[in-house]
Amino acid sequence: MNPEPQVTTPTAPGPDPDVVMRAEGVTKVFPGTTALDDVTLDVHRAMVNVLIGENGAGKSTLMKILAGVEQPTSGRVLLDGEEVRLASRLDAARLGIGIIYQELNLCPNLSVVDNIFLAREVAPRGVIDRRRQRAHARSLIERLEQRIDPDTQVGMLRVGQQQIVEIARALAEDVRVLIMDEPTSALSAAETEVLFRIIRDLKAHGVTIIYISHKLDELLGIGDRITVLRDGRMVAHADAGDVDVSWIIGQMVGRDPSALFTRTDHPIGEIRLRVRDVTLPRVGGGFLLDHVSFDLHAGEILGIYGLMGAGRTELLECLAGVRPESTGEVRLDGLRLDEADVADRIEAGIVLVPEDRQSDGLVPTLSVAHNMLLASLKRYLRRFWLVPEWERQAVERYIGDLSIRVSSADQPISSLSGGNQQKVVVAKGLMTAPRILLLDEPTRGIDVGAKSEIFQIMSRLAEGGYGIVFVSSELKEVMAMSDRVLVLSKGAIAAQFERDQVTEEHLVAASAAGYLRAAAAPAPGSALAAVGVAR
Amino acid sequence: MIDRRTAGLKGLILIPALALAACQGTSQASPSAATQPPATSEPTAAPSSGGEAGGLVCVIVPPVENPFFGAMQQIAADKAEELGYTTLRLVHDDDANKQLELFENCISQQAKAIILDNAGADASVAAVQKAKEAGIPSFLVDREITQEGVAAAQIVSNNFQGATILAERFVELMGEEGEYIELTGKDTDTNAHVRSDGYHDVIDKIPGMTMVAQQTANWSQPEGFSVMESLLQAHPNVKGVIAGNDTMALGAQAALIAAGKTDVIVVGFDGSDDAIQSIGKGELKATSLQPVAEMAIQAAIQADLFIRTGSTGKPEKQSIDMVLLTPDNACQYEQFAPKEGAGSCS
Amino acid sequence: MTARAQAIRPRGLTRTEVAQVLLRGTALIALAVMVVVFGALSPTFLQLTNLEILAKQTAINAILAIGMTFVILTGGIDLSVGSIVGLTAMIAGLLINEGLQIGALGVIVYPHTWMVMVIALVAGALVGAINGLIITRFSVAPFIATLGMLYVARGAAGLLNNGNTFPNLVGRPELGNTGFAELGAGELLGVSWAIWIMGALALVAWFVTSLTPFGRAVYAVGGNQRSAELSGIRVDRTKLVVYMISGLCAATVGLIIASQLVAAHPATGEFFELNAIAAVVLGGTSLSGGRGTIVGTMIGAFVIGVLTVGLNQLGVSSFWQLIVKGSVIVLALVLDQLQVRVQRRIALQQQAHADVAPAPAG
Repeated sequence: MNPEPQVTTPTAPGPDPDVVMRAEGVTKVFPGTTALDDVTLDVHRAMVNVLIGENGAGKSTLMKILAGVEQPTSGRVLLDGEEVRLASRLDAARLGIGIIYQELNLCPNLSVVDNIFLAREVAPRGVIDRRRQRAHARSLIERLEQRIDPDTQVGMLRVGQQQIVEIARALAEDVRVLIMDEPTSALSAAETEVLFRIIRDLKAHGVTIIYISHKLDELLGIGDRITVLRDGRMVAHADAGDVDVSWIIGQMVGRDPSALFTRTDHPIGEIRLRVRDVTLPRVGGGFLLDHVSFDLHAGEILGIYGLMGAGRTELLECLAGVRPESTGEVRLDGLRLDEADVADRIEAGIVLVPEDRQSDGLVPTLSVAHNMLLASLKRYLRRFWLVPEWERQAVERYIGDLSIRVSSADQPISSLSGGNQQKVVVAKGLMTAPRILLLDEPTRGIDVGAKSEIFQIMSRLAEGGYGIVFVSSELKEVMAMSDRVLVLSKGAIAAQFERDQVTEEHLVAASAAGYLRAAAAPAPGSALAAVGVAR
Repeated sequence: MIDRRTAGLKGLILIPALALAACQGTSQASPSAATQPPATSEPTAAPSSGGEAGGLVCVIVPPVENPFFGAMQQIAADKAEELGYTTLRLVHDDDANKQLELFENCISQQAKAIILDNAGADASVAAVQKAKEAGIPSFLVDREITQEGVAAAQIVSNNFQGATILAERFVELMGEEGEYIELTGKDTDTNAHVRSDGYHDVIDKIPGMTMVAQQTANWSQPEGFSVMESLLQAHPNVKGVIAGNDTMALGAQAALIAAGKTDVIVVGFDGSDDAIQSIGKGELKATSLQPVAEMAIQAAIQADLFIRTGSTGKPEKQSIDMVLLTPDNACQYEQFAPKEGAGSCS
Repeated sequence: MTARAQAIRPRGLTRTEVAQVLLRGTALIALAVMVVVFGALSPTFLQLTNLEILAKQTAINAILAIGMTFVILTGGIDLSVGSIVGLTAMIAGLLINEGLQIGALGVIVYPHTWMVMVIALVAGALVGAINGLIITRFSVAPFIATLGMLYVARGAAGLLNNGNTFPNLVGRPELGNTGFAELGAGELLGVSWAIWIMGALALVAWFVTSLTPFGRAVYAVGGNQRSAELSGIRVDRTKLVVYMISGLCAATVGLIIASQLVAAHPATGEFFELNAIAAVVLGGTSLSGGRGTIVGTMIGAFVIGVLTVGLNQLGVSSFWQLIVKGSVIVLALVLDQLQVRVQRRIALQQQAHADVAPAPAG
């Protein structure tokens, strides 16, 4: 509880035995943005070094430099007091530096085992020893308290499970320094708790952790040292025990954090979206979605909560028309849309902002402007030709509205930070002028400032009579923003809460319901305990 | 700084290519430039339509991967250079469109004459016509086109005659009886049909000869091999193979040797050096020799005559008879022409 | 603010601008260098008539490459264009020389010349549509689907006249189907029809790729198909249309060649697909889709055209021509990659100076 920012200026260049790794005066420039500006970071031995900051603050870039994925434009990296040149990921790996990326970096066409041992196969005499690899992989997965068949293709796993595989892959290396870039963004509370136990275990074995996350309370639970970045510069450095959440937020944004959840009261109107018996069969039997029915009213924000694999993403995909194999009835303002494809539904006014922006949300080869315009091109047509002037006006308006940080709308989308990319995806959805907005984890991997902006937009739209379906794994978000919450469990609606009834305990208990019935599941206590810790 | 260097670099790749191009061009053109045109010493007739010797002659042939066409181009171009012309040696890859493009290029370079082994009897008419309209005479060798009065001369070997003399020899070797297989050339090629007709004109009159299979091997050696291989399975008693050209015959021969059937009689057509060698080794039994050298030389001479006098003095269609090559005379020929000072074969 | 602008802008920006102009124009520079060198080595090369021939010969490949650009931008490939050229040429030949047999009655209809052209174009688009349907409906890889069509269309071309050429496509005045040769031999304002067609198609293609929703969809499908689909782009329809465009371009080429030769040969257009792909790639279009321009493709087509005509005029042996052509294609792309890297580095360094320098002041 020390509100005074302890801005440390990097001094003493002499090697400090507690500092295992040091980034010194690092600057990194990308087309259009300076991601890091003369940053110096000390990484303390056998501690959890937390790095925190808004999207675009430069955290991921700094980590990529430490892991050898990116090279600094200027500045140097020291390991145990000696300068090292990390020209590639392999160089860093040889020195015992491991990394778990924010964006999943797995080969979806390979099995879990193959991914874990990719590029470091157990291959005595050049032949892969499949049995040993599989056994090792199984033990790693067990250590993470998961039940994933090591022979499953990674592409068949949900995002959360893939994240687990990514973690297992890092654990398979013998690392001295392990960088974790938002490892929990796709994990459930229970999975997160397992990960934290492993982190503490690694720390006890002398492994240094560099940890990045946007979940602030989580950070205070696990972190030892906290470093705050803002706009590519280091602004503060402190012991975790000395600070609290509001101090961190204050450092990150330089403003009062209390206004995170903007929610204005707004009248709820007629039914706009009627969903009846939406069912999605699972390949190989069973249901991904099991007769889901609900109504969405004008001006209503409907939160959808559930564990990984509960069918949240699938539900939104069915509503958006991505899953033609689904059955059931979807009506928008009385108009049946069961047979309509994605384009027709966008035309009718339903648009999806997908969860995974890299694979579903963006076209990496197009510019920022062209990505934003992609879903609403028909609006800028004069006869057959697009009118560049209209396009430019629309793009500029939304860049302003969502405060997307770009130097030019024509710069490549890949040069933006994760949070700004996410805002581009949201802008693309909004530019279709939807009546129903489907948001799948819109705040995944997004900083506090951007989150607050997204919530503002949601409130504004709801006020204007739009219906919003909003999926999130963060309890606080769901509770704060929703007028009503549906809890999905094993593809079915397990419970429904009005705004005034909902509590964290209710949500967690309901989300685990389907699994409790299915016998051999992790004890409900562990899920509840996890939430307790997270708070 | 760096930009300009790389931009220059890109230009750099072209320079060796072009330097090379330049060398190629001059090396071929220089002999003619050096030699004084002998034509000037001859009295120039018909001044009304005639002109001086000298200038560019284009020699356009099918892909020179086949030595037949390579030899043809070489002989015709060498003769033209000897007569005082510069030459441009071009290859149309059996693509009528590319041939037309090459004609356009020759026209734009104001060629005096074009010697052509064409890319299709019908599809080549337009190109030859275009040259004629531009005042450039075309001298066709080896292959005909379907229209008369467009080319200045069409000098072809008598494929039908060549086929009949070969077929007569084949029947004789077979002892006038037994099963045989015919390998035909590309279906789209008129010569394939002419040769086949020539074979059958002779063989069909012999009652003892039975054709058990007739199949195309597309002029190709590997295809000759594989087609023969599979036909052998169906017809193990085959006694002879008559092929539409040498390369198919050599392919079939190889397949027969591989199968241990060395006593099967194989005859080819064209008289290539490979076939001559094979005959020398006792493998192929006979082939009909294309008078390539004679056709090529005739084309060059007639082109020169036409340029100087406005006429070749010969009918447009000229057919040159083929010679039958057997173990008795094969060694006296090389590169589609009689070898100088070769004695009898033993 | 003003002081900063004065201090930073003039030197930094002009240098970037010069660099960018130089880098963007590399293909053009290469083209210019080639033209100059060939012009110096061959006196006839730069004559107006020769340049027209050059453009006319390039038109064939350029038209195919325009269609191919659409396909490659979606991340696909069309190996069947050469065979479609042959097939549509044969269809035109059949219609002019033998007409259309209708039913078992033995009635033969000879369509007008313009009808012949329309039918051939429709046939080309249809073959493209079959490609597209196989690729979208049955999820067959474009390489395989169009490879299959390469054989099928070539075989069909041969079947139309049993492997023989349709000669002398002049038509008969009493049937009203004369004038086909005009397309290949005719001129407008002294410029061949083939060149006009190439220019018109390039212009239309440029408009379509840069200023229509369809064009944007083509880029999006090639960049990230899933994302395009979720944005409401009809991915299958987009793919279908690009293969139809490619087929249509191939049919245009088939008509031009048949008209120029006044004959239709079933082997017309063999290996054309490879030249077209080379032109597209030389023009800077990525084979993985999503990146590229029509302007680049046109430059690529002219690079190949100049190279072919120039080397032919210098009498370079056909074997060396192949080696030179192949080397130029690969080297051009190697240099392109190098330049992209250099360009990025320069931009970053300049940005670092620009961004870092004024920071303490602001």
